[in-house]
Amino acid sequence: MKITTWRAAALALLTAVLVAGVALSTASATVRKARAQTLVIWADNDRKAAVTQLAQQWGAARGVAVSVVVQDFGQIRDKLGTVAAADAPDVTLAAHDWTGQLAANGLVEPLFLKPAVAAQFPKYTRDAFSYGTAVKRLYGVPVAIENIGLVVNTKLAKVPTTWAQLEREALAFKKAHHTAFGIAVQQGTNGDAYHMYPFFSGLGGFVFGVNKAGNLDPSDIGVANAKFLKNAGLIDKWNKEGLINSKLDASTALNAFLKQQTPFWLTGPWNSDTLKKSGLSYRIVQLPKIVYPSVPFLGVQGLVVTKYASAHGVESLAQDFVTNFMASPTAQAALAAANGRFPANTVAGKSVKDATLAQFGKAGVGGVPMPNIPQMSSVWTDLGQAWVRSTKGAGAMPAKRSFTGAARSIAAKIG
Amino acid sequence: MSTATARVPAPAGSRRAAAIPVVLAFFSGPVGLVTKIGLLSLSNGLAVWAAYVLVDHRNWVALAVLAAATGLIDYVYLARRRTPAAKFLVPATVFLIGFQVVPIIYTVEVAFTNYSTGHIASKADAIRQIERVTLEPPANGKSYTAAPARDAGGNLVLVLRDDQTGKDYVGTDERLTALAPGTVTTGALGIASAKGYRLLKGNELFSLDKTLNSFVVPTAGGAGIRMQGLSQAVELRPTLRYDSRRDAFVRTRDGTVFHDNGEGSFVSATGEELEPGWKTFVGTKNFGSIIHNSAIRKPFLQIFWWTFVFAVSVVFLSFAVGLFLAIVLNKKGMRFRRLYRSAILIPWAVPGFLSLLVWQGLLNDDFGVVNRVFLNHVGLNVPWLFDGDWAKVSVILVSFWLTVPYFFLVSLGALQSIPDELVEAARVDGGGPIQIFRRVTLPLLLVAVSPLLIASFAFNFNNFNNIYLLTSGCPCDSAGGIAGSTDILISYTYKLAIATGKGQDFALASAVSIIVFLIVASISAVSFSRTKALENLA
Repeated sequence: MKITTWRAAALALLTAVLVAGVALSTASATVRKARAQTLVIWADNDRKAAVTQLAQQWGAARGVAVSVVVQDFGQIRDKLGTVAAADAPDVTLAAHDWTGQLAANGLVEPLFLKPAVAAQFPKYTRDAFSYGTAVKRLYGVPVAIENIGLVVNTKLAKVPTTWAQLEREALAFKKAHHTAFGIAVQQGTNGDAYHMYPFFSGLGGFVFGVNKAGNLDPSDIGVANAKFLKNAGLIDKWNKEGLINSKLDASTALNAFLKQQTPFWLTGPWNSDTLKKSGLSYRIVQLPKIVYPSVPFLGVQGLVVTKYASAHGVESLAQDFVTNFMASPTAQAALAAANGRFPANTVAGKSVKDATLAQFGKAGVGGVPMPNIPQMSSVWTDLGQAWVRSTKGAGAMPAKRSFTGAARSIAAKIG
Repeated sequence: MSTATARVPAPAGSRRAAAIPVVLAFFSGPVGLVTKIGLLSLSNGLAVWAAYVLVDHRNWVALAVLAAATGLIDYVYLARRRTPAAKFLVPATVFLIGFQVVPIIYTVEVAFTNYSTGHIASKADAIRQIERVTLEPPANGKSYTAAPARDAGGNLVLVLRDDQTGKDYVGTDERLTALAPGTVTTGALGIASAKGYRLLKGNELFSLDKTLNSFVVPTAGGAGIRMQGLSQAVELRPTLRYDSRRDAFVRTRDGTVFHDNGEGSFVSATGEELEPGWKTFVGTKNFGSIIHNSAIRKPFLQIFWWTFVFAVSVVFLSFAVGLFLAIVLNKKGMRFRRLYRSAILIPWAVPGFLSLLVWQGLLNDDFGVVNRVFLNHVGLNVPWLFDGDWAKVSVILVSFWLTVPYFFLVSLGALQSIPDELVEAARVDGGGPIQIFRRVTLPLLLVAVSPLLIASFAFNFNNFNNIYLLTSGCPCDSAGGIAGSTDILISYTYKLAIATGKGQDFALASAVSIIVFLIVASISAVSFSRTKALENLA
């Protein structure tokens, strides 16, 4: 009895093991084989439908299968470095300021645009995706552009054309309504260099200079350059009169504008839908020139081909999809519209009818693409903190000292 | 009265005692055998699959470990000898190795490498990538609309149309030949057909990818026409040449030599560096930079002190208040006792990251509820988050708020496990309530709670969430520097890892984590040995 049970058990076990092992191996082999004939694309949830539709259109023409995987956009950069090769994408949506890091890590492959196609993209959008210390190469096909602008509630204030006018109106409104700030600029404890940049650039500040080869130079830091320091006293003045208050965070700033507690709000196209639904009458312009033009940071989103495409045997296909098909005006218009951005392709840009998007586009004229070199990660916190320290109301540090300290710290961190 | 309450847990205990043999009996029969065989075959099936993958990767060491481990598991559960201890130890050991030992080994390994932005690939990959990304179009380089095709003999060729002149060519890996006008037609996706050539499409393109990438139609001056995708080709020239004999790159333009610098990069004599680099062992360099780089070292001690203060204050405040509440709410016959108890658990019921973000809003100096609704009316405006010292207070208070329910529950449980007879006896002996608490309740309580106090200390010592979600380690009043006023060691490590140099210095962060680990481990070890003394006392 005992022995038969034992034997039966051993036999059952052996069979089960073999079946399980073989089943799993076959399953993984099937997955692998299917994988080799599919182009895998990473996109965020907003753009999944548009990317899927376009990719299938291309896939049908090329006779290959495509699969679109949804990822949180903000996570894609870091995931590309850690993902297992079998799950890795061949093509992904990316932000231009990741380019340096991705290229330095060898995670993305250089691309070529035909001269006629390249001419349809503004030079800065192509530069934004170009990187290289030895040879500068293009790593992404621009898809959409975004930047912040000054949103003005036209019922509460006139659209300002000069800085003096803006300052006067904002302060008058502040006094009349007993609010704690004049212009709503989102900051918070951690600071937000992206949203304060128009003020910074308007006072003569910049992040990195450009060297002779035309590349951003991480050793030339303009956070406390002489021109800017000469004007930095204005920040202390704004802090004193309460024109700017860095205690405002993103949601407070948004609510203040929607509840008409301020006529002036600095924000970007991601709030287009909120603005349209708000029922307020508004207009978006570039922040008026302070001492220098107060230009915002420009962000460019695009498509890149990853290094995994080559291991998956689909590199040529991936390049074809990105540079040949997705660069076309129709594909660009569809993809940019999917998450409410202005298309990077100028031909596609002409077809944009949305007034809000067009106004945001105009507010970005002359803007500076966010530096795409990896050293930028040493800058964000310090630059944002420098602004917060000088604009937090009582107990604020003089801007000159604050930004000089930030510049020193950034230099030390970049090393 | 007291005897009646003391007897209350007894039935539950006896029920539990009766349940164990029942469960054992249930699993001893055929059900148990089937369950065992099911689980074992699952584990073995997974092992077969893992072996398949490992053989594919030619990882023989891991394969040997896998075989040995699987064999051991099968032996332990199938051998006729009864080895109950081993049966429980094996799964525990597997999980211990998987979730504790391996991550620690990995962290230690990373700490001795240069794993960071620009150094994540292998050297072979880096060399290949440098060769690819330093190709450059020559002056007046041409670009073509192109398609891969097979000629009459079945050889791979490129059918090309010059984008500028519109002339057609066919390129082999030996030369470029002009085609007669009219041979080639174009469509929406580039070249549509070419007389005498068969264009490749569909699945042929997959198998061809590798060949196509190394297919070069040579042109003048060392340049060559390469496919870029499936419908265009560009004339490119290498600017760097890899010399495998010297293990160095040479720039063709000026002969500059880039040598392997031993730290995962090719660097020229003037310090020019080629990207990408690769991951390699750099010895104790990371530990050295913690000691030698003043930007890292200077804040370290100060942060260590604050981390200690933060963890200790949070644990003691929450324990003191939690215990107090537990004693108050342990009083029998109190009305709405359940209601109070549930109310105290609310901070625990809300997901921590949510309540932290809510607190961040509540404490905002100018717009937060705390100042505007409460303090402003008495003429106060506390800079909760924007002043270095106040931010420290806020961080402690919010962490305290999040931890109190835990110690309330723990203390309540421990209090109820203390036999009422002891307290009764002390009262009969004439002890006052404070004396009874100090001499009887607290010592007995501490036996149960002190390991939890230590665990909570270790947890708060590394409480990244609370710091990062509330203040991000800021305010950073010191005008520069990596650390802010409320940064604890682990959030400082995070900042070192993502916001210095080229970003993402995992190796340096691992080195700091090891130091943090050693600190926490030694503090815990000392505390646990103290606890043992306490146990003996009790």
